Amino acid sequence: MQETPMIVQALVAPLSVAGISAVLGALISITDKIVNNYGDLVLDINSGKKKIDIKGGAPLLQTLAESGIFVPSACGGRGSCGACKVKVITDIGPHLPTETPYLEPDEIEQNVRLSCQIKCKENLELEIPESLFNVKQYAGVIERITDVTHDIKEVYVKLPDGAETSFVCGQYGQLEVPPYDKVKTPTQRAYSMSSAPSDKNHLEFLVRLVPGGIVTTYVHEHLAEGQKINVIGPFGDFNVKDTGAPMICVAGGSGMAPFKSIFNHMIETGEIESREVWYFFGARTKKDMFYLDWLYELDKKYDKFHFVPALSEPQEDDEWTGPTGLITEVLDGYLKEKIDRSQPLEGYLCGSPGMLDACMAVMRKNDMTEDRIYFDKFA
Amino acid sequence: MKMSPEFAKAQANMQPGVITSDGFLGDDTRPIVEIIAADEETMGRFGIDFDDAIERMRYLMQQGRGGLGEPVTVDDAWIVQVYEARGFLASPFEDGIYRKVNAQVTVKTEGSDAPQILFSELSLHLMEKYHFLQGKGSSFRIEPERLKAVLYPAGKKAN
Repeated sequence: MQETPMIVQALVAPLSVAGISAVLGALISITDKIVNNYGDLVLDINSGKKKIDIKGGAPLLQTLAESGIFVPSACGGRGSCGACKVKVITDIGPHLPTETPYLEPDEIEQNVRLSCQIKCKENLELEIPESLFNVKQYAGVIERITDVTHDIKEVYVKLPDGAETSFVCGQYGQLEVPPYDKVKTPTQRAYSMSSAPSDKNHLEFLVRLVPGGIVTTYVHEHLAEGQKINVIGPFGDFNVKDTGAPMICVAGGSGMAPFKSIFNHMIETGEIESREVWYFFGARTKKDMFYLDWLYELDKKYDKFHFVPALSEPQEDDEWTGPTGLITEVLDGYLKEKIDRSQPLEGYLCGSPGMLDACMAVMRKNDMTEDRIYFDKFA
Repeated sequence: MKMSPEFAKAQANMQPGVITSDGFLGDDTRPIVEIIAADEETMGRFGIDFDDAIERMRYLMQQGRGGLGEPVTVDDAWIVQVYEARGFLASPFEDGIYRKVNAQVTVKTEGSDAPQILFSELSLHLMEKYHFLQGKGSSFRIEPERLKAVLYPAGKKAN
């Protein structure tokens, strides 16, 4: 009897395993299509204001996006940001363990769900903010990338021909970057618009490099002028209140973005000449500061606009003569000694959660009430 | 080395696109028990005690938080910048969720190639509970040699 060659013997086991795996994989795929086929369903949004025919089976976040309704999501549907909350009127069962860490007790009671975690398995009645109907996805083109500091880039995106954006200063958009290196799926992150709403054919963002950050690394190391990029927005309810009250604005790093938009808008409307604005901007050293010339010019030109930049660790060659210390310390000093507090002040903040908490503590300590302090707690 | 079901599940959760877009393993194809065993051996060879290293890292992260998003000099030996983002990350071992807080710690030196490490609250948990320093090539891989250079620079001691 002829012996089977050694190489064939060696291949039998792995080939058998691969074959069985392939058959099992195909079976699972077919079963999934049969068992998880929920057919044609209807989403009823805001008591019939919108009714959408959908195919069942996919996560609600994805299904809504495919229907042109973009619920904010800072993590792209991975269940790690807790931003994609939607109120589901239909009883779809108890909250999942992947949802509860992101929901307050009253939200759980009102059946608020994370739309990325629940699947459309039946007709659903939902409630979502109607402002989301205004959210669009744009296939933009990078018109210009400018280094404003060693770790912050100004990214200026041209919208497709004929497309116009409509947003309120302080709102944000989500940049979507394509798969690269080890990242196998498109990834979205949220950034405040730094352009003025009057520039309807463009959107501008300030993107600070976050070590290990997927989108910021892409923007800083791969994104090029002329490249296409998806932008989804506008989102968010951070905006300037139409009260005329003095504004105390505080930011650091790329937290400059909404304030650039706000100040340019105030210049266009003339509000900058009638409303008191104090802008506190903190950085560690002078190389972390940017837009200084523009902001000093506003300070000089408009009586009611006051720019207070502060360095926490000025270097010898910075030749810094301005305020030093953490921006919260400088803010505290100004609130106590230099800012007229005879009328109620409004606080406007943009920065990391830690920075916002610290600023709010200083503002509260100086008799500013929490209901007049506005922010978007995005880093 | 055999993988328990808990570790097999964790390894699956560490793939790109499951919890984070780029995963926890980088280019490393070894089972995580092998990664852990190899790193425990290397940490021992460098004379680094896991608990002591974690204590120092927590201290540096805490001090860095005081910079409110900007870099801050700690004990005149390190420059620490803490980045916070909205939300949480689940542990791949399914034993908790952690705020998205990253700390970048750089030894304060004159040169431009100062040793540097990057870690998150989740990194600290994985390191403390499992001695898992992440796969080679992962953005959050804590390389023992670099850990030693950053946490134990000559003549410096965390307070």
